[in-house]
This record gives sequence, C-alpha cells and structure tokens, in this order.
Amino acid sequence: MMEAPQHSGSVSSKAELKQLLSRRDPRFWQVLTSTTRKASSFEEMYFCSTIRRKAFVQGFVPPEPKTKLRIALLGGYTFYPLTEIIEHLLFVNEFDAEIWVGDYDNYNWEIMDEQSSLYDFRADFIVFMPPSWRYKYSGKLSDEPEMVRDEISQNRQNILDLCDRMHKGTAAEIILCNLIPPCTHDPGEMRTRTLGSEWNSLKQLNLEVGLTAPKYVHICDLEFLSARMGGVNAQDNRAWFESKQPFSADFVCQVATELTHLTCAAKSSTKKVLVLDLDNTLWGGTIGDDGVNGIEIGDTSARGQCFKEFQKSIKHLADRGVLLAVCSKNDYDNAIEPFEKHPDMVLRKEDFVSFKANWNPKSENIIEIAQELNLSLDSLVFVDDNPAEIEIVRQFVPQVETLLLGHDPASYMQALKDCRFFEPRQITQEDLERTNQYKLERQRNDLLSSATDMETYLSSLNMTAIIDDFREVDVPRLAQLINKSNQFNLTTKRRTEAEISALIKSAEHECFSVRLKDKFGDLGLVSIIIANTIDGTQNIDTWLMSCRVLKRGVEQVALNELLARAQERGCKRIVGTYIPTAKNQMVSTLFQDMGFKPLSMKEDRQEYETSLSAQQTFDTCIEVVRRRNDKS
Amino acid sequence: MTKAEVLTKLQQIFDDIFIEPVTVTEGLSADDVAEWDSLVHISLVVAVERAFKIRFGVGEVESTPNVGAFADLIVKALDHA
Repeated sequence: MMEAPQHSGSVSSKAELKQLLSRRDPRFWQVLTSTTRKASSFEEMYFCSTIRRKAFVQGFVPPEPKTKLRIALLGGYTFYPLTEIIEHLLFVNEFDAEIWVGDYDNYNWEIMDEQSSLYDFRADFIVFMPPSWRYKYSGKLSDEPEMVRDEISQNRQNILDLCDRMHKGTAAEIILCNLIPPCTHDPGEMRTRTLGSEWNSLKQLNLEVGLTAPKYVHICDLEFLSARMGGVNAQDNRAWFESKQPFSADFVCQVATELTHLTCAAKSSTKKVLVLDLDNTLWGGTIGDDGVNGIEIGDTSARGQCFKEFQKSIKHLADRGVLLAVCSKNDYDNAIEPFEKHPDMVLRKEDFVSFKANWNPKSENIIEIAQELNLSLDSLVFVDDNPAEIEIVRQFVPQVETLLLGHDPASYMQALKDCRFFEPRQITQEDLERTNQYKLERQRNDLLSSATDMETYLSSLNMTAIIDDFREVDVPRLAQLINKSNQFNLTTKRRTEAEISALIKSAEHECFSVRLKDKFGDLGLVSIIIANTIDGTQNIDTWLMSCRVLKRGVEQVALNELLARAQERGCKRIVGTYIPTAKNQMVSTLFQDMGFKPLSMKEDRQEYETSLSAQQTFDTCIEVVRRRNDKS
Repeated sequence: MTKAEVLTKLQQIFDDIFIEPVTVTEGLSADDVAEWDSLVHISLVVAVERAFKIRFGVGEVESTPNVGAFADLIVKALDHA
C-alpha cells in the first residue's frame, strides 16, 4: 500500500513521528498508523509502540475513542514481547485492548480451575498456544503407525477439550495457535518416512485439529507462518532458554499481526468487490495505443504470462464469490475489446458486474460502482499499478481499501494472494450464486435505463449532424478515418488521398461525411459513406464511423441520407457489403439490424439488399443539416 | 568502535525504548530506571543487537551489572564480529 509523502526530502518516519509528537500535531496518529503498517522489523514495530505510549503518558491521545477489546493469552510459553506488539497493532486497528496473560506453562490449571482469574477476566478472545514439545509423539521412530495415530488422536482431543472448556466458561472466541514442527535436519529421511517423527506427528496433529475444530475455534496457523518466514528465522533458541519465549523478534511481529488479523476479521465483514484497473494491471501496455493485438497477455512472453496468471488468480477469487469490477481511464470501446476478442484473456466481459471505462476520476467511478451494486464503500478493494490513482482513491474514498501493484508484473499474483482482503470465513452456495444475482440485477437496470432514459438522454445532448459531400479541404481527415477505422467499418477498404480526391469528381459516386456536434462540443468528422451507383442500384462501398459516437443515432442519420440520395438518383435498391475482419465484429449484423435482407452470405463477404420502396427511414434525436456541393 | 562511541549510540537506542528520558552513564543500571524491567530488557537487547549488528550469547547480557559493562560487552562482540 502506498503512503502519501508527508514531507519532501529524506525525513524518516521515525524522526517525523518524534517531531509530530513534540508539536502535538494530530497528524501524529495517522502517521503512526501508516508507519506501523509499513514496519518490517521488530525494532520499527517496537518503536511505534513506545512512541504511542509516550504520547499517552504526555496526555496526548487520539481524537476518536477506540473500541474496548479484552484478550487473554495462555499456553506453554511466556508472551512478552508478543503482548506488547499485539496491543499496539490492535490500537492501530481501532481497538483499545486490555490483555490478560497466563503464567508460563500453567494453562492446564488455568483452564481446569473454575476459580481461575481467566474466567473473571471475561475475555472477548482467548489466544491459546499449546507448546510443541508437549504434543510431539512421545514414542520411538520405529513404532507402529497405529500407536502413533492413537496418541495424535488423544492429543487432538486434549487440545480441543481445553478449547471447549474455555469457550463454555467465557463464551469467548478461541484463537488456537497450532504447533511449529522443528526445523532441524534430525532425523534425516526418517522425518518424512515415519509418522512418529517430531515433524510428521506435529504436522498430522495440526491437520487433524484444523479439520475437526468447531466454529468458535479460529486457527492461528503458526506452522504456515513459520514455513512462510523460514523455520530457522522464526525461532530463537536463546530467547527460549532465557525467557521461555521461542520466537525470533521478527517472528513475534508475524504472530502478532496474524492474531490481530484473526481478531479483526471476526469483528468485521470480508470485502466483496475487487475493482480493477486495466492497462498494466490486467495486461501489459496501453490498449488505446497498442491495440488489442499489441498488449502483453498470454503465454508467448514471460510478461504476458505474468498477466495471465494474475488474471487466473482473479478468476479464482470470482469463483469463490468475489465480485469483479473494472475502473479504467480508457475509451469504453477500447477497454472492452480485449475481453471480447483477445484469445489469451482469462477474464471475459461476463465476469464483471460493473465496467467503468471512461475519463472521470476513479474515485467517482468507484462511488458509482458501489451504488450500482448497492454495497457500502468499505466492501470494495481497488487495485492499480499507478500510485497517483491509488492516492486519489485513498484521499477521496478512504473507506475503500487499495492495493498498489509495483512495476513488476511477476509480483502481481503474489500481491493479490497476500492482500488478505478476501479470505473466506466459510464458502457457501450463496457466495457462488451471488455473482449471478448481481449480473441479472445489472442487466435489469441496464434494460430499464435504456428503455426509459436513453431517449431523454440523447435528446438532452442537443446533437446536430452536418452532412457534407466530400470536399477537398476535408481530404486529409477523410483519408485518416478511412485508413485507420477498424471496428465500425463494414468493408475496411483503404484509400489514398489521391483516390479520395478523384471520388469528389466522380459522377457515379455518392460520397458524404457526417460531422457531429453536441452540447459538450464538436466531435468532428465521425462517419463516412461511399456508394457507387450501377444500373439503378446504390452499392455501399464504404461505411465507417468513429466508435466514440456509437449508439447516438449517427448510423441511422447516415443511412437516412443515403436513402434520400438514392431516391434523388432514381435508384430502386441499395446493396450493402460486410467483409469480416479481426476487428469489425461489432457491425456484423448492422445491415440486418437496419432492415436489409441477406443477398449472398459467404464467409469472407456478405451482401445485403433493401428496396427503396420497402426500406424505412429512422427517427433520431439528431438535428440534420445537409450541405451539398454544386457539381455542375 | 570505541566505548565512548558505543555509549553515544546506546543513548539513541535508550531514547527510543524508554518512555521517560534516561541519561546513559557507565554506572547506570536497571535498578535506577523504573521502566527497565525484565520485559523491556528483552526489547532493549534486541534493539541493541540490531543496531550494532551483533548477537549476544545466552546469559551474557544478564551478567553485566551496569551500562558500562554492557558497553564493554558490545565492544567485545564488535571486535569478534
């Protein structure tokens, strides 16, 4: 997560915190939180904890009171400095923790004795950390697996019975720390070949506890945390001998972070929506510049593979019930294209419940997404590779969690899988169906808005179309559009400026352009039709349009104009040609949609016809101005 | 690193560890500082080890009666590093 630069230069957060405290600047609390979240070592974490306590001693307290939380810790170890770090992390997560700590290895008595002060404490959470040394298999490596299994089973029962007793005596949620298998080489291969090895017996016990523990037991997976950090780095034998605390200082922070996570997770709801940027997030490159064939996605390059794997991990979250949305600064048509057309994209249009590709601030789009889905902002997580976009969202919609991807796509998948925002508590059928429900709801909304609001919306744009015969002055722009348009282009026929100039003088051709203006401004030359008259038939040689003006009625205006011109020439029918390309799928049914009948349907060339007597003209919300050259 | 330099660096560490200001002198011991209990001691040792990039053996720090002896131990550890 990115932090806002609070100062220029190289003032460390440590020095900054000291300064803020000495000035009693209320920003102290915000910087303390961000510094704590960034802290990667015990010393940094401990510094944050100490300076917080210094502030309290000086009577400088945070503006908002925190929620009280009572936590008890007991087990086969001592818990300092773990308690110190937990208290601080809970503070940063808006909890004022009161902590009860059991005596070293006195848990059996503390749990079994109803008069124990554990039961007076009325904990919200009890952290129980049984010692590995007591639960490793006590017999020989060569013992029969059945014997080992029996002992593991008894140990499992013993641990869960203790949890049960604590839960019944206090109604507290139990956080059970599982056991760390020892990271020494002894006894070599036998470590994995016999169930009775310390390594295997503890792993087996962890497995059975995890699979059978009741719902009020939350597992703090020390086995995993130790493996993640590296067992040798997680332990500290000197600390064990000196103070009966077995963890290295940095591992203490890992355990405290996990315990805090479990505590906060139990008290808050999980995130529901993953809002994704597109360029350099879901694929490499910029779709607007590089085009659908130029972006990096897929197995042909290492970078493309990174993005594909990232998409797979997103898809995996969606399969688990997380809703996906897009929030991208792009033209919609460009943005949607890879989802519809790129063969290596894992994610498809239908995987998203909301798709915002426009040039509005992302914070605004995110608010709209939440409104559309009828979810609170704090159920959204926003992912982007651009620190500036992350910063805008953090400033304007601080309720939304953010994930800043670095510059290296190789790290994206891990960043997502480590973000911890979407950890399922329990996977339900309802989760799996939720995506479907939202999709249906969105379709309904879309239909509703298109039926009732579209006409009003289009009218409100005050659009004017200016239809011109081709003019010399327009030739460069005409050539540009003819040679660049790919998507709304029926025949993709390219022409030089000289060829276009020649058309102006041709008596057989009807060539006109459409320019569009609306209340927001002049959209320029947006559509072109070139038609050739042969034996009373107008053949549409070229019909193209800028996708920016799709669905506004420009298509209809253009066809109306062609019909009028055909009429003037005394033509009886119009023939339209569609030549499929990799990019012009969007107009594959245009002629049929306009009321034309198929004439000849080959795979590489489709022709449609309509007779002037039968063809309807279209009503639009566009005022039309016709300007004809004087050809005489 | 000389003992004087070690003591200067220790002062910075003490400033971050203790809530009330503590002035480092050779004669200073845990008994002189109310906050300096066995728990804070653990964090202090970790902070010193990280700052000087050294590692004490088991029981070594416990056997130093005051900050002066602690500084000697640090100088020794630095020499062996």
